[in-house]
Amino acid sequence: MPEQITHQSELKRLRDLQKRAEQGGGPKAIEKRHAAGKLTARERLDLLFDADSFVELNQLAESQATDFGMQEKKVPGDGVIIGYGNIDGRLVFAYAQDATVLGGSVGTIHGRKICRIMDEALKVKAPIVGLFDSGGGRIHEGFFASKGVAGMFYRNTQASGVVPQISAMMGPCAGVSVYSPALTDMIIMVEGTSQMAITGPGVIKSITGEDVTLEELGGARVHSEITGQAHLTAENDKTCIQLIRHLLSFLPANHLETPPAQVSEDETDRTDDTLQEIVPANFRKAYDMRKVVQRVTDRGEFFELLPQYARNIIIGFARMDGQTVGIVGNQPNVLAGCLDVDSSDKAARFIRFCDAFNIPLINFVDVPGYFPGVKQEYAGIIRHGAKMLYAYAEATVPKITLALRKEYGGAVMAMCCVGMGVDMMLAWPVAKLVVLDTTAAVNLIFRKEIKAANNPDEFRHEMIKAYDHQYSNPFHAASNMLVDKVIKPSETRPELIHALKMLKNKQPSTPFRKHGNIPL
Amino acid sequence: MANITAPMPGKICEVNIAPGDSVIAEQEVVVLEAMKMEMPIITTTAGTVKSVNCSPGDAVQGGDVLVVIE
Repeated sequence: MPEQITHQSELKRLRDLQKRAEQGGGPKAIEKRHAAGKLTARERLDLLFDADSFVELNQLAESQATDFGMQEKKVPGDGVIIGYGNIDGRLVFAYAQDATVLGGSVGTIHGRKICRIMDEALKVKAPIVGLFDSGGGRIHEGFFASKGVAGMFYRNTQASGVVPQISAMMGPCAGVSVYSPALTDMIIMVEGTSQMAITGPGVIKSITGEDVTLEELGGARVHSEITGQAHLTAENDKTCIQLIRHLLSFLPANHLETPPAQVSEDETDRTDDTLQEIVPANFRKAYDMRKVVQRVTDRGEFFELLPQYARNIIIGFARMDGQTVGIVGNQPNVLAGCLDVDSSDKAARFIRFCDAFNIPLINFVDVPGYFPGVKQEYAGIIRHGAKMLYAYAEATVPKITLALRKEYGGAVMAMCCVGMGVDMMLAWPVAKLVVLDTTAAVNLIFRKEIKAANNPDEFRHEMIKAYDHQYSNPFHAASNMLVDKVIKPSETRPELIHALKMLKNKQPSTPFRKHGNIPL
Repeated sequence: MANITAPMPGKICEVNIAPGDSVIAEQEVVVLEAMKMEMPIITTTAGTVKSVNCSPGDAVQGGDVLVVIE
């Protein structure tokens, strides 16, 4: 201790503390991380933010615990770095857990720091990015630490629909803490190094006897393909951070703003004859809806989310004439493009995200119906399917639907048709907007007549032809104003852009209420 | 080793590979007809076809192993 306090002496004290905080768990621990292919929390933040823009807050906050050796173990910062900075010149708040300090465990101060930065982000309405890398709650600090975790849940929920919240899983996240990323809008997982699970392999082994590794239980593959928790996966820390930056480029800072517009380097009135080749007029032939989307959007970009989960529906962001849009499309290549429990959940949550953040929706429809079967009914397709209806009906952003081929039956409503509040209903000339597949419809309507006919097959065939000509086309629907415009496939892009421009200033009108009650 | 399974019940229309063939990721190996749609079944892993357990015309159940890649 210096004899007399001077500016110099206290500046030195500050520098020492800062240095201690910046080192985290120390050079050895950092070396170990690098050897494992992981970046440190500070390196991650440096990559996330524009150069020299990150401002750290509460760097000197440290654990106040003294029990169980905490007095010796504590490090300034308490295993999490919080702050703000610019991403592509726009203000973003972030917290990054530092696994080199006490395993990144959530102690009391650690939790308070995260809550503090979330409060700040909410005050100024800017996005929050969380970089998770934590062993879980800090047991040394007893029950106190749980207040921080609960506080995170509370703030995640308060911030939901106000500012975009993105979680990157860059290490393990086990126990109840995983509910914090689960409450945010998007989760990105790093392959091989990140896992999420409520109960770890040890507990599972002791209770159910199942042998499973943490990776098998909650690795990136599990959550991107089976549970649908991980919207995106990344090969390593660096690509994960790049994905966050890319994702944010589509999003507004908050619910009051519109997404940042970019100057489109693609022609607005670009027509495309290949669309007719990509989508076979033969309805028995499947195709990849992503290819359609990529021919229509600016420079062919389609930032797909959850690409490996419920692949019978596709969701993601794109730009049309420089403006962010949310894409929802049936995928004929998978399950014939039928809707089911998982695809309904996947789409409904995305629709609500887009609605919350003023992102217009474009729906590419080619849907034969709901996937039939006892399994789907028992899995609650009524409740889950209702989510999509609710989400579309509730959404006040511009909603544009394009019928490409099949617009069959009840699933059509779930893809936002006339009556569901669609703003512009477009259809290709080959589209069939019908309640049922023609053969099924004819078999039902003319059951008695077919039976009584001299030549039932011939009679059925005649009726199918007549029914097809009368109803199985977009022209009948257009005559009833169930389709606003039948468009040339090649003109899909300009038509969609026209509609988006017309709808740009759509003013939502919703009744006052606390909130609705979506069937969860 | 990777099992390529039928995503849903249906009928096999086409089998585009034979044992011993080498395949690349995203390659179409089988076409399955279900829900009045002919859908390509792709392999997500590259490798060599170890066995083909279906032929055109076969009725398959969801989850049936159609092709094994190693």
